[in-house]
Amino acid sequence: MFVLSFLVRRLLQGALIVFLVSLLIFTLLRVVPGDPVRLMAGGMAPEALIEQIAKDMGLRDPIVVQFGRYMSGVVQGDLGQSFVRPANGASTGGANFNDSTRGERAKVLDLILETLPMTLQLAGLAIVFALAFSFLVGIPGGLAPGRWPDRLAFYISSIFVSLPNFWLGIILALLLSVKLGWLPAIGYQGFAYTILPAIVLAVELSPVLIRTLSASMAGIMMEPFVAVGKVRGLSRSRIVFGHALRNASVPLLNLLGIQFSGLLGGVLIVEFIFDYPGLGLLTINAVLQRDFPLIQGIAIVTSAIFVFINIAVDLVATMIDPRLEY
Amino acid sequence: MTQPAPLLAVRDLSIDLRTGSGKRRVLSDISFDLAPREIVGLIGASGSGKTILSRALVNWIEPPLEIASGQVEYKSSNILTVAPGPMRRLRREIAYVGGDPMGALDPTLPVGHQIVEKLRAVAPEIGAAEAGKRVVDLLDAVRIPSAKNRFHEYPSQFSGGMMQRALIVDALVSNPAFLVADNITQPLDVTVAAQVLRLLRELTERFDTAVFFVSSSLPVVSDVASRILVLEEGRIVEQQETKALVAHPKHPYTYELMSQIPKLWAEGAANVPASTSKDVVISVRDVCRSYTVRKRGTFAAYNTVRAVRNVTFDVLAGENFGVVGESGCGKSSMMRLLSRLELPDSGQVLCNGEDIAQLRGKDLLKFRRNFQLVLQDPFSSLPPRTAIGAILEEPLRTHGMRDKRELRHRALTVMDEVGLPSSLYEELPIGLSAGQRQRINVAQAMVLQPKVLIMDETLSSLDQTEQFKLLKLFDKLQAQYGLTYVFISHDLAMVRRVCNRVAVMYLGEIVEIAHNERLFFDPGHPYTRTLMSAVPTLEERRYRPEDYLLEGEPPSPIDLPPGCSFAGRCPNVMDRCLTQSPHLTDRGAHDMAACFLLDPATARSKDIAERVVA
Amino acid sequence: MSVIDVVPAETAEAVRSASISRRIWRLAISSNEFRVGLAVCLVLLVAAIFYPEWSGIDPTKMSVRERLIPPLFLQQGWSWAHPLGTDQIGRDMLVRSLVGLRYSFLIGVSTVMLMLYVGCSLGMIAGYYGGKIDTVIMRITDAQLSIPMIILAIAVLGVSRPTIPAIILVLGLSSWPTYARVTRSVVMTERKREYVRAAQVMGASNLRIMIRLLAPLILPPIIFVSVLDVARMMIFESILGFIGLGVQPPTPTFGNIIADGRKYLLNAWWIATMPGIFLCVTLTSINLMGAVLERARNRIHGGVS
Repeated sequence: MFVLSFLVRRLLQGALIVFLVSLLIFTLLRVVPGDPVRLMAGGMAPEALIEQIAKDMGLRDPIVVQFGRYMSGVVQGDLGQSFVRPANGASTGGANFNDSTRGERAKVLDLILETLPMTLQLAGLAIVFALAFSFLVGIPGGLAPGRWPDRLAFYISSIFVSLPNFWLGIILALLLSVKLGWLPAIGYQGFAYTILPAIVLAVELSPVLIRTLSASMAGIMMEPFVAVGKVRGLSRSRIVFGHALRNASVPLLNLLGIQFSGLLGGVLIVEFIFDYPGLGLLTINAVLQRDFPLIQGIAIVTSAIFVFINIAVDLVATMIDPRLEY
Repeated sequence: MTQPAPLLAVRDLSIDLRTGSGKRRVLSDISFDLAPREIVGLIGASGSGKTILSRALVNWIEPPLEIASGQVEYKSSNILTVAPGPMRRLRREIAYVGGDPMGALDPTLPVGHQIVEKLRAVAPEIGAAEAGKRVVDLLDAVRIPSAKNRFHEYPSQFSGGMMQRALIVDALVSNPAFLVADNITQPLDVTVAAQVLRLLRELTERFDTAVFFVSSSLPVVSDVASRILVLEEGRIVEQQETKALVAHPKHPYTYELMSQIPKLWAEGAANVPASTSKDVVISVRDVCRSYTVRKRGTFAAYNTVRAVRNVTFDVLAGENFGVVGESGCGKSSMMRLLSRLELPDSGQVLCNGEDIAQLRGKDLLKFRRNFQLVLQDPFSSLPPRTAIGAILEEPLRTHGMRDKRELRHRALTVMDEVGLPSSLYEELPIGLSAGQRQRINVAQAMVLQPKVLIMDETLSSLDQTEQFKLLKLFDKLQAQYGLTYVFISHDLAMVRRVCNRVAVMYLGEIVEIAHNERLFFDPGHPYTRTLMSAVPTLEERRYRPEDYLLEGEPPSPIDLPPGCSFAGRCPNVMDRCLTQSPHLTDRGAHDMAACFLLDPATARSKDIAERVVA
Repeated sequence: MSVIDVVPAETAEAVRSASISRRIWRLAISSNEFRVGLAVCLVLLVAAIFYPEWSGIDPTKMSVRERLIPPLFLQQGWSWAHPLGTDQIGRDMLVRSLVGLRYSFLIGVSTVMLMLYVGCSLGMIAGYYGGKIDTVIMRITDAQLSIPMIILAIAVLGVSRPTIPAIILVLGLSSWPTYARVTRSVVMTERKREYVRAAQVMGASNLRIMIRLLAPLILPPIIFVSVLDVARMMIFESILGFIGLGVQPPTPTFGNIIADGRKYLLNAWWIATMPGIFLCVTLTSINLMGAVLERARNRIHGGVS
């Protein structure tokens, strides 16, 4: 009963969020200057042709009409078709625009579904790395406020947070891949190609995890029940691993939920650098080619994933701490 | 004085507090014995070192505190030097209950499971099933209703009183030789505290546990302990058998402590203004206020908490009117309604005949000016980063005064009136004592020269000496400006001391309104008698807890039972009380109580209420 | 807590009586980490402001004869002409980095100011009024938080032309939600405090309470911690530059310098590496300050009455 009503409520809220995201990105793309048709048709295309294409594609209708048409498609699971990518896979640049019918263009949903698993693999591995590292550094830091493990955690997180991901990616690729030959870097021909990008992402993700973990751990160790637990006869390891860690995991979980969109931002850059065929690379190419339907589709899918992840996070958090209520 | 074989012997114990600039001694040369099965009380003002001493007895001294010298001998070994491993096993015999029941357990795990965890940590030979059974049995023994289910519930689902019972179970479950009870009744309501104390006595007798009982209230300690130690600034200044101590305190400090205990029934207990006015300042008519809270785990279902139900009373000009009740009785909602921070769902609050809900603009500002609030918590009621002078001038600015010199003059005048030195004008409130802060609050209310002051638990965070001083100040201001005070409080003794008339609230209703003397000597409602039986006092009780204090806690204001809301805890409950709800009945001289015992002809009560109001 | 714990007790005692922001500041300035961060940051800023003009080197001037000079410590016989070396067309890397730092810092600070303004006002309104207003603002916040801001930023900048105001606007408008959330939650706890209630009883209007009572109390700690976001925004600016959506060449920015240098990574690794290290040092100094301030704030707020 509880879970059911919770899910219903959150899913409704989530649908609202996804709707707002669609509205936002849709309007933004149409308000900012820059005509996608011009790009598609190439600089040489005559004005009349451009107008004709734009009309055919419905791009000269009022925004509200366009949005309504788009959303009715979205509700039926149709995210539209890419402006520039043909269905056979390879992307076409703006220059070699030919008058192919729109039916041959790739479906946005297919493009996203092809690349999403790759990105999930990368993001998952990055989270595993980041969590493992953060626990190793953050928990000792939180248990010894003011002493060297805490300082270590402080310095590590301060330095890691100052490393721009694209630069770190370049340097690590140069060092580990080109000079030392330990890990493959560019493209994707097997799982090993995920490791290096995942390390870069983990470095980006871990500072905030380390900080949250050590701060909440330190905070919980000050709670009265920890001190009283000792007087009640519980051993320190029991207090730390049985109680404190359990309590500290709630803020960490919430943070992971919120960090998801930050993580995707990182994925974008890292995939671009390592030429990793995931959603991020797709996004950058979509933006550079002004492929509006694809950009919109990606924004909607990622915000939907964000909503689901946060629902899951909140469910788990309520299971850990019954006081929470969402 | 000491028995031949003490269970616990404290010898020359001194403890230091390490501060930035050196050490300060907080306990010096403490020596005493605790015999098996004995209950020893420790009394002292806040800051006297009571809690430090009680923690030392369970080997819980952590930096910045450190043991300077002495020992705590249990079974002929000094527990202060026992290694952590053996100490953990010793915890089976040495138990501790503190004054913060809601913080004592991990909020994310069920209460019962945590007690089992503790039992098996100190006594690993006990199996899980057996431990579970033992805990449920004991939870039952401390009269936690449906203990089997409660075993699986979380700390946040327990009330403060329930939690304190569970913690007593937690302490006694390993059958310890002695128990340190540090201020265990402090956060609880009087009736709940009295119940918990009764329980503690029963159980420790049953388990042959010795108790070291710490409290800042001498009446509470004398209720429980057979022998009392008096602690003043880290030294034991007196120890005597309880009866002897109460009858003949030897040390001047003990004497002073006793003289500060407010009196309830003795001569001179009340010191109320001679109010002769018949002018009604505030008139509360049939006011109701409910809050809706979302039902846990549902999509759109709401619970209605009926915080204030059909409350009617008048406050006369120049009098001190008291509203008393335990937590959750609706007195804070009442305060918000009186000060127009909230509006009633139905009914009216009239001020000088005008409905305050209708006030707008200038009229509202004028009402605000005449009607000020002095709040409960001296620490959160002042904006933390504003100088005191600016705090006092802010209300004047709000009311349109702009002249800097005039502002300053008014602020300084009012500071002088409440006894704040003018040198504090530029200072920030940080670092001031609770009493000083409360004076700022009073000054802030007084600066607008109001006619009515509402005191929401204004004195409850102050110690007796400070309370006494502030009450004197209130007297002075009243005499000078003809103020009317409304005291909202849980403290019967305070109300007894200052109020002309008192309204007793229970679960959102007024169950009794009476003049001071009548209320304390001839209460008309069983709940009032229950309160009187539970209030800690050294005097001979007029109402004995054995007769009036039943088990059980107030029902939840969400699903109120039909009939009289006090029926579940009432010693005089009748069949009729379970179905019908009594109205306020006139007992003469404008004193009223809502009980069927008073007048079978309840039909008339409504007319009477109206007549009284008119 | 660690870094702050080095604060001598006397200092801690002395700051007791000051206002919260001053206490946070004093606590922070007494830590070595903060001082180091501040010193490095100031030196870099002064250099960025004065060195390019003072040295007289044009960051866009090409010189075929001086191309691909390695940095100072790799040269044979140290020559101070180009301490960080030159790139593939002979432009001085130090001057380019410092000019890049100018833009980076300018964009970082302005963006954070915009974020603070939008986020804090909306958060204050949401937290203070609650109810429907709160719901609407928080839903918008949720929606914004659920799109990766970098996607939003590059989508908008990729489609329009990236100018400096556009970059500031896009970065700022896509990351205010965190500030709205933080402000809202503080306001919600603070407005239940008794002094707010007292002010209401005294007749103060809502606007008055928000501006005179709440804002001076709530905002300084948030502003202190926003130092961390200056660094974050500088990273985003460099990311935008890297993918070609930042300030456009020939104006040097960290992003486009590194993107250029990447092509020459194998034979002239310093072109991509040195500006990166330069950027990292700057960011670390800012982040050190921000993190110390954050800890100081937590400590003061934890210990304040």
